[in-house]
This record gives sequence, structure tokens and C-alpha cells, in this order.
Amino acid sequence: MMSIEPIIGRYLNCELDGLRQRIYFEEAGAGRPVLCLHTAGADSRQWRHILNDEKLAQSHHFIAFDMPWHGKSLPPEGWERCEYLLTTDAYIETVLAVIKGLGLEQPILAGCSMGGRIALQLALRHPGAFSGFIAIEASDFQPAWYDIDWFHRPDAHGGEMGAALVSANIAPQGPSRDRWWTQWMFMQSGPGVFRGDLSFYTRDDSLVGRLGEIDAHSTPIHLLVGDYDLTCTPADAKRTSDAIPGATCAVMKGIGHFPMSENPALFRQHFVEALGRMTRR
Amino acid sequence: MNLHDRLLAIASALDNQPHLHKLGALFDECVLIEAGEDSVYVFFHRGRVEKLVEGPSSRTPWRFALRTDPDALNRFWQQVPEPGFHDIFGLVKIGRAKIEGDVLALVKNLRFFKEFLALGRDGQA
Repeated sequence: MMSIEPIIGRYLNCELDGLRQRIYFEEAGAGRPVLCLHTAGADSRQWRHILNDEKLAQSHHFIAFDMPWHGKSLPPEGWERCEYLLTTDAYIETVLAVIKGLGLEQPILAGCSMGGRIALQLALRHPGAFSGFIAIEASDFQPAWYDIDWFHRPDAHGGEMGAALVSANIAPQGPSRDRWWTQWMFMQSGPGVFRGDLSFYTRDDSLVGRLGEIDAHSTPIHLLVGDYDLTCTPADAKRTSDAIPGATCAVMKGIGHFPMSENPALFRQHFVEALGRMTRR
Repeated sequence: MNLHDRLLAIASALDNQPHLHKLGALFDECVLIEAGEDSVYVFFHRGRVEKLVEGPSSRTPWRFALRTDPDALNRFWQQVPEPGFHDIFGLVKIGRAKIEGDVLALVKNLRFFKEFLALGRDGQA
């Protein structure tokens, strides 16, 4: 049987920090905008099940984009002499540029892992640009339990090593095909990209001590965390949620660090519940 | 089943995994697996187990070691392990195992080694 999915992919050309960028984005549905952010070392394909969800697409306009250097977004000109190291400021600039470039009006921001971290940073720094935050596998800070330099070496395949490492964060209950497709995206990441993302994720502790300044009473924030996530554990997410006035948190049993990708059907239940919490205030 | 016999069954199961013979083609190393008082040196060669040698031995060099306890390994080998017991780094994170030696050698062959150990899960070996 043949079919064509409703997802439409296009490119946004823009300038970030003085560099031209060609950013790939996918969208589907109509209604309230929901901007979806992928994890480190992966791309927007992680969100394809949500974008392809016909029922949710009746009332939501889902958008997922590949960060520069990821997926179908190219690295900037001169990348061959650069060391890719993502920073909080560059990440924020990118998300805000996509919102502006696509003309999105106060989207819900749904981000996973480093995407969840930047959602919390944006909740702190630019709350007015959004109407809600779904922070998945997110916390204020996670120092590395591994050496990020493992993932960019001349004598080994960083993507394959990265995939084998992050498999520690995938729950065994998920469908085998989805667990392996989740790892495939890591295997496909460009040289040094996972490392550069992890530099942001494991070294930028600028959110520590500032969670109390975020106001989830004005703009809803809901955290979702899988009980098989070794990187951002339920304890990490709860600690973060408890420190944000008005934030809520739910633990997803039988899910790891890549919910929307590793177990799409189970994640959908939690995501629908999270969307229901994003009431405009 | 003691540690040696369990690893013997896993080694036998590995013989029927041709994709692992490719993944482990360059992994010619000895790995020490320790569960409490029991220890076994696993000699890998071209994606297969060449031999198993029961420890302890102070004269057998190894590239890296996985040191854990019998209960943790049994829970790791459940068909659907609990959180933390589902992965060797999970065991480390919850304080039930240590990985010592050349960790980079492990990471370079991580998929192979993880899939090798996972062959011990109920219904797989």
C-alpha cells in the first residue's frame, strides 16, 4: 500500500550571529502553533509521529525544524574550519528567528532534552513570545557522566558511538523498530555535532539558581520525564519542576530520553495531556 | 546458572548473530566480567568468543572490566529489566556496577558489547 504523509518540508533562509543559515522545517496541521525542538545529535524526524497525527493536526499547527548543522539544515559557510559548540545564546537566537521567519504567533514550545533545556531558558528570558512550554526530559542542568570528546575522534565513528551510548537512555518496552530508528538519527549526525550539542547541554549551568524567577502561573510549563531516562532522571525533572512556581511534572512509565521517537503511541497519551494543560492565561 | 555458564550460553548465542560478527570484527580483547565472588575473563576474537577463563587470576591482562554483583546481573538479564538495570551504564549510574580500565575501548565497541551481554536476557540465549 502506498501513501503520502501530510508533513510538508521547506527551508527558511536567515542570518544568525552574522552567518547565513538555511534551516529546514516541517509542518502539518492547522490551529494553535506548536514549535517542536529535537534532542542533541538528532533532527526533526523525532517529531514525525506527532506531525502525522491527523486528530491532533485538526486543532494544532505543528512545526519542527532541524537546528543548523543537523538533519537537512546545512552548517554555515566555513564550517570546515570551525569547531561546532552550541551555546545558550545561539540556541535562543535560532528559536526566535524561526518563530519570526515563519510568522508564528505565541506558539507552544515543546522541546526534548537540550530542546527542553532551552524551553526553560526561553521561559525565563522570553516568556512573552510563547503561550506555553512542554519541557520533555528537561532540567536546569545535567553534568556529563561521559566524556563528550568520545564523540568526535579521527579514529572512530562518533555517530555510532553516540547512538550506542544514548541507547542507555531508551526504555526496553518500546517497539524495536522505533528504538532502532531513534539510534539511526544519532548515527547520521555530522562529525562533531553531537559533541557540540552536549557542550551546551552538559556545561552551560546558567539556569542553576534561576528557576524561581520563571513564572509558570502566567505561562504554563509542564515537564514530562521518562522513568528509564538515565540522563535526566525523574528526580532531576521533579527537582526542576518543584523550583518553578506553578510548573507541573508527570513521569512517563516505560519511556526513556526520546519519548516521541522511541515509543510514539505511549508518548502521545502524555503529550495530549500536556497540550491540555497549555491554557492561555 | 553461575556466571561462567551464563556467559557460555551467551557466547553460544553469539555464534548465531552474524551482524555482531561484523560489528565486533576489530574487537580482539579480553574483558573481565565480575559478579561478586565470581569472575570470568572473556576473550573476544573477530566478533565471537574465543574462550572463557574463570578467575580470579592476577596474571590475565584485560582491556576493561565490568564489576557488578549477581543480583544486579540477574536483574539486568530479565526480559524487561527495571529502570537502571536495563543497561550497563544504568548499573553504573545507580551504583550497582563499575566499569574500569580502557573505557574508550568499550565505547568504540559499545554496540557490540551491549548486544553481546543482552543475549543473556530471557528468551534470547
